Amino acid sequence: MKSKFNRSVLALAAVAVVAGASLANAQQQPPQNKSLKHYESGTKDFWTHPPDDWFLGDETEAQKGLAPPSGPPTGSSDAELASLLKKIKLPPGFKIEVYASNVLAARQMAWGDKGTLFVGSFGLGNVYAITDKDGKKEVKTILKGLNMPTGLAFRNGALYVIAVDKLIKYDNAEANLDKLGDGKVVYDDMPSYAAHGWKYLAADKDGWFYVPFGPPFNIGVPPTSVSQIRRVDPQTGNAEIWALGVRNSVGGDVDPRSGKYWFTENARDWISDDLPSDKLNMISKMGEHFGYPYCHQGDLPDPKFAMGHKCSEFTPPVLNLGAHVAPLGMKFYTGEQFPADYKNSILIAEHGSWNRHKYQGGRIVRVTAGPDGKNAKQEVFASGWIEGDQGYLGRPADIILAKDGSILVADDWAGAIYRISYSKK
Amino acid sequence: MIRLRSSIIAFCGLALAALAGAPAEAADVAAGKQKAEICAGCHGDNGISQTENIPSLAGQPDQFIQWQLVYFRAGARKNEQMQPIVEPINNEDIRNLGAYFASLAPPKPSQPDDDPDLSKKGAEAAAGRRCASCHTDNFAGTKAVARIAGQREEYLVKALHDYKSGMRSGGGQAAMAEVAYPLSEEEITALAHYLAHL
Repeated sequence: MKSKFNRSVLALAAVAVVAGASLANAQQQPPQNKSLKHYESGTKDFWTHPPDDWFLGDETEAQKGLAPPSGPPTGSSDAELASLLKKIKLPPGFKIEVYASNVLAARQMAWGDKGTLFVGSFGLGNVYAITDKDGKKEVKTILKGLNMPTGLAFRNGALYVIAVDKLIKYDNAEANLDKLGDGKVVYDDMPSYAAHGWKYLAADKDGWFYVPFGPPFNIGVPPTSVSQIRRVDPQTGNAEIWALGVRNSVGGDVDPRSGKYWFTENARDWISDDLPSDKLNMISKMGEHFGYPYCHQGDLPDPKFAMGHKCSEFTPPVLNLGAHVAPLGMKFYTGEQFPADYKNSILIAEHGSWNRHKYQGGRIVRVTAGPDGKNAKQEVFASGWIEGDQGYLGRPADIILAKDGSILVADDWAGAIYRISYSKK
Repeated sequence: MIRLRSSIIAFCGLALAALAGAPAEAADVAAGKQKAEICAGCHGDNGISQTENIPSLAGQPDQFIQWQLVYFRAGARKNEQMQPIVEPINNEDIRNLGAYFASLAPPKPSQPDDDPDLSKKGAEAAAGRRCASCHTDNFAGTKAVARIAGQREEYLVKALHDYKSGMRSGGGQAAMAEVAYPLSEEEITALAHYLAHL
């Protein structure tokens, strides 16, 4: 019943837009007759001033009414987290607990040298610092009012935050948690497009950041500055285009075995519940093209935007992770605490679906693959955040290793950081 | 969402999406009432505002109150009076305040409608602009969408102007900007009058 209401409301909203001047007429029609939401997304005006429901722009009859759900405004209370954790399934010997709560909209995490955990956020615009105070975790909001500061990193004492079109450096951050100041913009050759403009930072051994640039819509011919991954030097502001044909990537890590960059990628919406699959990719050499918008999941030409291209022209994924699972943050496991066969496995935080009638994802998967990307396979590592067809108890958004070999998981729905550890029986 | 509309998340969809169902909060109304003492100075006793341009909060949906407080605290919705007040309150306070204001009896229009013709025009505008599709048929609001029935008339005018001019941020502005932008002054006046007298 809820979803029915949901759909009719959206349909009404859709009509209001489409009908434009004839609103008064539109209101007479029952909602099921309303046309589908459609936006002409191939224009600069759309990119720079997207409607807030821009993601509905390619709505189809079959998927009509699906929209990203929004979590509880204040995250989950400690009591709710306690009951949630009982529902999380893990392999034998693993344990999950709350590391910190009240970290609203928590996204990418980064460790400071002195043990401060920095956490970015989505729409709230906050950056948090979590410190240990007499054994209790203290969550402090250290930056406010940034534009979707989802990605951050810590290098040589400095905190780097990426807020859509600004990479900002805060020197000596851990000593100045109460007065970080305005920081210094070290790279800004980035479009301000809000849609898929939120980013992720992963540093390589030279201290350059891999930075994803998503297209400002669901599907279309992207503006020249996006649908790519760049490699950016925060010291000089130099940058190079490292990969092309990438849709929305909000997670990646450097392979400790090869030094190559692997990244998760969210595939287009509005084809169906089961197509196309989201991907795990590896960049073998600079300038590779991963297919967007022409080809999805390595073998599915886009119904409209293939435009004569064949999937064989593009680099295929290492692994198709599943449709609408929404893989975000990922890390190679390089710790010593987990069983030995976890070494160099990839742990991926799947945020879960919105553009699917029965949500999937909302879990952590473990992928094993050779350093060349061959023989990739996945298994579910942690699950239980989805309840019913379209209910979330939480949504994993990022993963980071702790010094002791446990992992931390950021959940932007529950506003919490979890710790998952292993001990031999 | 959110800022530049950076609040991609904060569209009307947010409100809609909230229907998908968050777990019920075990909030403490009594603690919310205590915390709300500071609010009464402007928003009135029992959440009924007696002050010009200050909205009544009584009977607002729990989630609407929570979202607005979260937005004020994060600076996503800007207001000089609200920001310093909200700054120190924690998430539990916010849950309790949401539960408290939602538990209060909504404002009733005390005076009879002094301009039924204007109300009629407002009702037509509300139908034409599809206000009920988000604010519900009796305009009591739901989830993240505000109650507008019985709100102070001049505040409704102010809010519609703020949406129309793009000054209002922090949730719902997508849907509201779309609706408010084409409104004429006459429609704003009529809508506010109609809703205030419901």
